[in-house]
Amino acid sequence: MELMLQTLINGLLIGGIFIMIAVGFSLAFGVMDIIDFAVGEWVMLGAFAAYWIQALLKIDPLLMLPAIFLLFGAIGYGFQPVLQKVINIKHRSAALMALAFTFGLSTFFRGSALTLWGFNNRNITTFLSEQNINVFGITLPALRCVATITAVAVTVAFMLFLNKTRTGMAIRAAAENKTVAGLMGIDGTQVSRLVYAMYAALTGMAGVFIGAIFSVNPDMGLRYTAFAFFVVVVGGMGSLSGAIVAGLLLGLLASFVSVYVGGSYIFLILFLFLFSMLIFLPKGVLGKGV
Amino acid sequence: MKKSVVMLLSLVIVTALVLAGCGGQSAEKRDYYKVGVITSLSGSEAYGGNVTRRGYELWSETVNKKGGIKVGEKSYQVKLIFADDQSDPNAGADAAQRMITSENVDFILGPYTSGVTMAVAPILEKYKIPMITGSAESPLIWRQKFKYTFGTIPAVDLTGSTPISTLAKDVQPAPKTIAILGVNDTFSKSVAEAFKAAAEKEGLQVVKYDIVPAGTDFTPLISAIKGMNPDILAVGGHEKEHMEIIKASKSLGLMPKVFLMHYGITTPDFIKNLGKDSDFVMGATVWTPSLVYKDDVFGSNKEYVEAARIRYGTMPDYTEAGCAVTGEIFAAALAKINAPPALTEEQREKLAKALEEVKLDNTLYGPIKFATEGAWYHNNTGLKALTIQLMKGEQVIVGPKDVKEKDPVYPVPAMSSR
Repeated sequence: MELMLQTLINGLLIGGIFIMIAVGFSLAFGVMDIIDFAVGEWVMLGAFAAYWIQALLKIDPLLMLPAIFLLFGAIGYGFQPVLQKVINIKHRSAALMALAFTFGLSTFFRGSALTLWGFNNRNITTFLSEQNINVFGITLPALRCVATITAVAVTVAFMLFLNKTRTGMAIRAAAENKTVAGLMGIDGTQVSRLVYAMYAALTGMAGVFIGAIFSVNPDMGLRYTAFAFFVVVVGGMGSLSGAIVAGLLLGLLASFVSVYVGGSYIFLILFLFLFSMLIFLPKGVLGKGV
Repeated sequence: MKKSVVMLLSLVIVTALVLAGCGGQSAEKRDYYKVGVITSLSGSEAYGGNVTRRGYELWSETVNKKGGIKVGEKSYQVKLIFADDQSDPNAGADAAQRMITSENVDFILGPYTSGVTMAVAPILEKYKIPMITGSAESPLIWRQKFKYTFGTIPAVDLTGSTPISTLAKDVQPAPKTIAILGVNDTFSKSVAEAFKAAAEKEGLQVVKYDIVPAGTDFTPLISAIKGMNPDILAVGGHEKEHMEIIKASKSLGLMPKVFLMHYGITTPDFIKNLGKDSDFVMGATVWTPSLVYKDDVFGSNKEYVEAARIRYGTMPDYTEAGCAVTGEIFAAALAKINAPPALTEEQREKLAKALEEVKLDNTLYGPIKFATEGAWYHNNTGLKALTIQLMKGEQVIVGPKDVKEKDPVYPVPAMSSR
């Protein structure tokens, strides 16, 4: 019984981190109609940013989370026009070209990271790394708890922002129908930039946690690109609430399969689940996808 | 002129040029050996690939400083040509093929991973290019009996039983239970299998045996293992997975009486990244920097270690050293068959046979003799396996009993108390 509870909690905790990545990714798709193949690399860059902050400034990266959030937000905001240029190309397959562009970006980031920072595996330690909390005989790693709480807090803040502010409403309008939103006076360009900035900020922040929990190396991003796709497909493309449910589902599935079936079956079961979703529930688990 | 005449003429000219170009290949004259190196310079195993690169590079620089490989009366310099397998067997096979066909290398120094070694071996058989890998340890390689592939490190099914033996026989109270994890790649899986076989032979109870895909999140597994409370947690993987398992164990409060891990605890990154948490982890090796051997290229093992430390800023581990010695073996075989560069296919065939006959007693790695029959065909099986334990960042030999430098520490102190 205790093991089951522990497995459940482990699954939810790691799911929390996936949510952070998925929410931004889903929104970017919803507003910009772009599937960003480089999502895993933003995670990697976030992890490296945290590593360098710790190595050079000797500050605990968790304390610098707001700074990293803003930094990546700024980078995303500045970078989005480049992406937009590719999407706006007057070509039959503009969407495909944008896809290829982000794929190339992913390779570029990975190669640059390897060239600039080398092949060594890095470690990030925070004041939370060694702590764990014991509740009813279940051991919870403190770092993961904080990561999940942050993910939940940020997601809730995001949802409030989207639903209760004018800018949020503008974003939702643009996500629904860009042309009509434009007719209503919403600046689609600004909205896209803002959304991409938030996506980069969220994903970079997730990278900090992932780097601290696991390890930091230039190759770490690929898995998270695959997971982002999983979450977005299972949750329904463009659906935020779906992304949350799917993120948790992914964490739980991985955790339970790991413990009760066997480590070698994780990917098999995950992708069988993915395929069934595509066949039976193509609009995502909550039915809200496009 | 008529169109058809022009076409015919250009066809004749092109054919003549192509034939002239092709003809030049076999008559190539060089005064240096072209040595191909296939290893992981990018991808998930880039760290280990660079361990091998350091070993091969230091050998080539040192031997060139001394004049080169001596064959007959003359000495010939060596030039390394690198190919990146990107940590993927398929990419490795492609890279090897491209390097062989475009560079006309004389011989090859081999990959970091067993997976790439197995993928590249059939290509070497096809082009008849001898290769020694200073790193790959999976027994599956040698069972295939490739004629052109050799390896300096004894396979893990020969060495993996030693730490289990040390734990079963030389420590008190003797451990009773063991949990074994292995990453699903050629090498790591072989390690896990070797640990399992050895554990069962020594009468230990294997409470968990799991082979997991690369990049798995270990936390749920560690949680499950914590509930079983094993005396030993044994892992087959590379330094990244070992690091993550130690971190996950610490964050979940799992502290077995000892961690047994292979391969990677002897690499500088493992110790640097984990600090005190890396202490008391046990592993297997066939070489440590403290062993005393004479060597023809470096002078002695001690001088090799010092040269590597000065050149790269880190202590070499048994894979780096295993790579550094590969060049010497080729040099001995080349001198034997008196084959100056560039090697023809016939000479490379002779080189492969000569490698089977080479018997070196004085190298930085100890005695070198490749087996010529049996399950470990072309593997350097003569080296004795050692159990090591990390103590304050140093590799200390704690077994077998007759060669230990210190007694093994068991049970090890909890990470939180260090």
